[in-house]
Amino acid sequence: MRLIKQNIERKTGEGSAVLLPEEPEDMWHAYNLIRSNDLLRASAIRKVINESGSGSRSNERVHTTLTIRVTKLDFDPQASQLHVSGRVAEENKHVKLGSYHTLDLELQRNFTLEKSEGWDSVALDTLKEAVNQEAKAQLWAVIMKEGLANICLVTDHQTILRQKIEYNLPRKRAGSTDHEKQMQKFFQTTFDSLLRQLDLANPKPLLIASPAYTATQFQSFIKAQAASGANKQLNNLLPKITVAQSASGHLHSLNEVLSSPAVTAKLSDTKFARETQLVDNFFTLIRKEDNRAWYGPRESEKAVEQGAVGKGGGVLLISNGLFRSQEIKVRNRWVKLVDEVKEQGGEVRVLSSMHESGRRLESLGGVAVICTWPIEDLDEGEVAEEEMHEDGSVNENGDWDENGDGHGVEGRVDHEEDIDFL
Amino acid sequence: MQRVKNVDYDEDELYDDDEEYGADPEESYSQEDRDNFAALIPVVRAELEEAGSRASNKEIQNALWNYYWDVGKSDAEASAAAADGEKQEKPKSKFDQAAERSARDIADDFEDAASMLLSMAWFRDVPWILPPGRQDYLVPATPISRPRLLGGSSKLAKLAEERRKKAAAASAEGSVANGALSSLDRLTKPKDFKENEAPSAVAEPRKYPVRKKREPTPPPAEESPPPPPAEPEQEKPDLRASPTAFARTLSASPNQDILPAATTLSELLGSGQSEDPFQGPSPDDTLISHLYNTGPTKPKQTANGLTKKTEALKLDSAPPQPKLRSKGLDVPKLWAEEKAKRKPSAAFVVVGHVDHGKSTLMGRLLLDVGAVSQRDIDKYQRQASELGKASFALAWVMDTSTEERERGVTFDFAQHHFSTPKADFTILDAPGHRDFVPNMIGGASMADMAVLVVDANQLDSGMKGQTREHILLAKAVGLKKVVVAVNKLDAARPAWSQQLFESVQIDIRKLLAESGFADEDIKFVPCSGLSGANVVNQPKASSPAAWVPKAHFTLLQTLERSIPPTKPTTQETIKQPLRMQIIDVFRGSVTNPLSVAGRISSGNVQNGDVVTTQPSGEKAAIKGLEVSDEPREFAVAGQICTLHLSEIEAQHLRSGDVLCSSQHPVRVARGFTALIELLDSLLPQPVDVHLGRLHAPGTISQLIETVDGRGEQLKRRPRLLKAGQRARVRISFEEGVPLAVGEKIVVRSAGVTAAYGTVE
Repeated sequence: MRLIKQNIERKTGEGSAVLLPEEPEDMWHAYNLIRSNDLLRASAIRKVINESGSGSRSNERVHTTLTIRVTKLDFDPQASQLHVSGRVAEENKHVKLGSYHTLDLELQRNFTLEKSEGWDSVALDTLKEAVNQEAKAQLWAVIMKEGLANICLVTDHQTILRQKIEYNLPRKRAGSTDHEKQMQKFFQTTFDSLLRQLDLANPKPLLIASPAYTATQFQSFIKAQAASGANKQLNNLLPKITVAQSASGHLHSLNEVLSSPAVTAKLSDTKFARETQLVDNFFTLIRKEDNRAWYGPRESEKAVEQGAVGKGGGVLLISNGLFRSQEIKVRNRWVKLVDEVKEQGGEVRVLSSMHESGRRLESLGGVAVICTWPIEDLDEGEVAEEEMHEDGSVNENGDWDENGDGHGVEGRVDHEEDIDFL
Repeated sequence: MQRVKNVDYDEDELYDDDEEYGADPEESYSQEDRDNFAALIPVVRAELEEAGSRASNKEIQNALWNYYWDVGKSDAEASAAAADGEKQEKPKSKFDQAAERSARDIADDFEDAASMLLSMAWFRDVPWILPPGRQDYLVPATPISRPRLLGGSSKLAKLAEERRKKAAAASAEGSVANGALSSLDRLTKPKDFKENEAPSAVAEPRKYPVRKKREPTPPPAEESPPPPPAEPEQEKPDLRASPTAFARTLSASPNQDILPAATTLSELLGSGQSEDPFQGPSPDDTLISHLYNTGPTKPKQTANGLTKKTEALKLDSAPPQPKLRSKGLDVPKLWAEEKAKRKPSAAFVVVGHVDHGKSTLMGRLLLDVGAVSQRDIDKYQRQASELGKASFALAWVMDTSTEERERGVTFDFAQHHFSTPKADFTILDAPGHRDFVPNMIGGASMADMAVLVVDANQLDSGMKGQTREHILLAKAVGLKKVVVAVNKLDAARPAWSQQLFESVQIDIRKLLAESGFADEDIKFVPCSGLSGANVVNQPKASSPAAWVPKAHFTLLQTLERSIPPTKPTTQETIKQPLRMQIIDVFRGSVTNPLSVAGRISSGNVQNGDVVTTQPSGEKAAIKGLEVSDEPREFAVAGQICTLHLSEIEAQHLRSGDVLCSSQHPVRVARGFTALIELLDSLLPQPVDVHLGRLHAPGTISQLIETVDGRGEQLKRRPRLLKAGQRARVRISFEEGVPLAVGEKIVVRSAGVTAAYGTVE
């Protein structure tokens, strides 16, 4: 994303920014920047109905620039499209004030964003990150096991599952080569789907991970394909393949793969590898029952209140899903928490909810802290408190996800599903 | 055109069989009939006049004939015919002409629908369940009740759809329309006649008493208005020959009564049209009987028979594919009867750390009991030596896939049957490598007991590795009996050291006891898979292993003694609804293109049963059934069987799915609570959930509480679950998973078994 123009005032945070999205991932940034009640100005196509004096009507599609006050956002991670609905805030000759419009933000077209509550620290950080033009790491990953392959694209801020291939493999049995034949077919299907996704002219690193030998077998399959010479460009891809071990073929195994030393050595300092390691560290700490590690909104807030997340190792891990809350109050609560930690000198890590590491964090309630000193019994008295909250903030599943919005839209089903027998 | 003629010709032939009904009114009236007419016509006429309508003698005659002297019905019919006749007799006003044209249109619509039906039937059921003759019949009833043409993409279909709608709108004037149809049919008679010239010429020498088709007399002059303009014919290709005189008589006249009858028939056929078409009464018979089932005639009985059949079909909730008939065996009873004859049987899973010799030991066992020939082993020996892995020859009996043989590691569990004079066994040879633990869980979930293979020389590697994990998993899936085969004693130093065996025994016993196995359920066998000592045959007295036979049985003997007496094949489990987890979906053979294998956990199944698969919810019929590679009539809970399925697509079946009875399908859940025993610490986090062969990505969404041994709550909403705790958690899935309360689950995370428990 490119910052074309900005007049944000340092102190109050008021003002607007003109931004130019350049690549699909910028839509993800835009999704994290735009909040409801903000003013968004972008070009739009609108069907205008003209009624003449005699009562006859004519339709016309007009290109115009509209300013809307945002009410709803809809992000499609597969297609990297962002649809912003809202009410028109500035009248022009085609559109009346207050009528509804849904803007589809487009690549290479400017949009102007003005924050209703002013640009807070988190919004500014997101903006900085979005306009960071440093080379962005990207990698393709195939997490597979026999009969299952997940092809996904891992970028700095998102893990996008592009294709899931499920294949029914018959089990081995004496006197039958069905298993081998189907295995080859499975590889062929996976390989074909992968090629459809990859840009072979300029291939990105490809990570193949599986339990046992499936990944190695698949790598040799690709090599055999390249050797057959049908596709010359395939040779470009071969040196970029990394094979790794994962515990299962399911997508959440990407976590272990990205944190395994063999892979981190190759991917070095990419954002997603860092994030994965952070969450791993946290999990190790909490497993050790070190009282420095706490998770959950209330516990984290209490820890911050007590000043435990400060200089010398205090870390706040927070999922950016929390900032996407449609309620300003809820968002402000988290922004305040972040600001407080920064004030105390602690480290704040905003994790992308679109990465597996972010998902792990979200299953913990979206926020976790590593304190500088052990705190005992942060969760004490909580039971009573919970009883009070039971009606509202803690939803009936007892999940801590108090602002459960902003999850389901990312193409993943919410976890907080009650037992529902289909 | 040729085809049309042929169709017509067939029709002819079919009807000829039923001369009784096929007799043309005008030609075939016997003396008796005429008398009847003479007696009844005045009666009908009187009644009609009372109702205020007039009818010609001929109409009344027709009606009487069609209704077999039933005066009441004939009345209605004759009055309809009369109304129709009246219309035509009147001098034609412009209005009348328009009305007539519309009536004709409607008639055309019906005809069109009929041609549609014809083509539909053409594609729907290749064995001609609906012969062309019958379609003429169904015309009046079906345009409403029949399903639409599949796809409906063609222009013709669209056209027909429109017409059908129009016809439905006009159905209020149904009788008029039908009247119009009959009269219209009459109008086309001359053409019809011409078309059927050839067949009738052939038919003549056969001496059929009456050829209603060949009615030579032109219709009475008063009934033939000027020939209608031919536009409708031009508009659409006439797929079907115009109805024969006989078909006309049948289809057109008794309209009111055909409607309901034809509808039931079509419903019946629509729901279950897969009976052997030649089994029951021929389609024509049933149709005609239906047509006449209101009259006091013989065919009535057939009609009643049919109705009964319909009811029967409805009662057993109309299995979608009665092509395969279940014999309706009383499986629990049969099973109980056979009990005396049966040998005890058991499936055992072979577990243990990688390279401790599980597959080799099993290869040896199979060779020595004679389930595998020495010749095969020799062949494997040769091939294995070529790969430089001569010692793996015995394992190749189990490791059949190329990849496994090349790497010398079992990937997936192998299944093998063998019988001894005392018992039937199924071996489930599980992989020992840690990456294949999911496959091991799948194998263990099918077993009745476990055989733990331990390398006496490398006890430590196993204790840290899969020996320990497999023991826990065996416990987790509910196995109680364990036979511990202390393997590779011939390679010990000194060979067959009794001391070594004892020390291994102590360590393993301790480990098993820690995991919750009862002491009396554990048996130890010293053996060597590679040499074969004490597997099936006792070692020679001269060998260093001479101490073995004194204190220990051979592996096979121990197995025979350890068969769990309370295998879950009790009458209760057999009577429960069917549940079987699919372990494998494969192509059985050319004749059985789709087969599934698995262990029936409850209920019973027999050939011809219709079962439901979950989560796809599709139904399948069981075409064949095998237990231990032998065809059977039925299988019951506890047996590992192969089912050959039909009438389902392979895409609806995955290993891990559940086959269940259609009446009580297993539920598909997106989440559940489970009571688990922790083996590693857990937080709310993504995990792998194993349920037998099913391996689903799930998330622990909530830690509800930790509990003590009796299930009392210790702490609500714990922050972290630690190894050794018992806890209640909520687990959710992204996709629905077939689940039942009380099922055993294993929770793994990052390649380590983190917990096991049961679904609540």
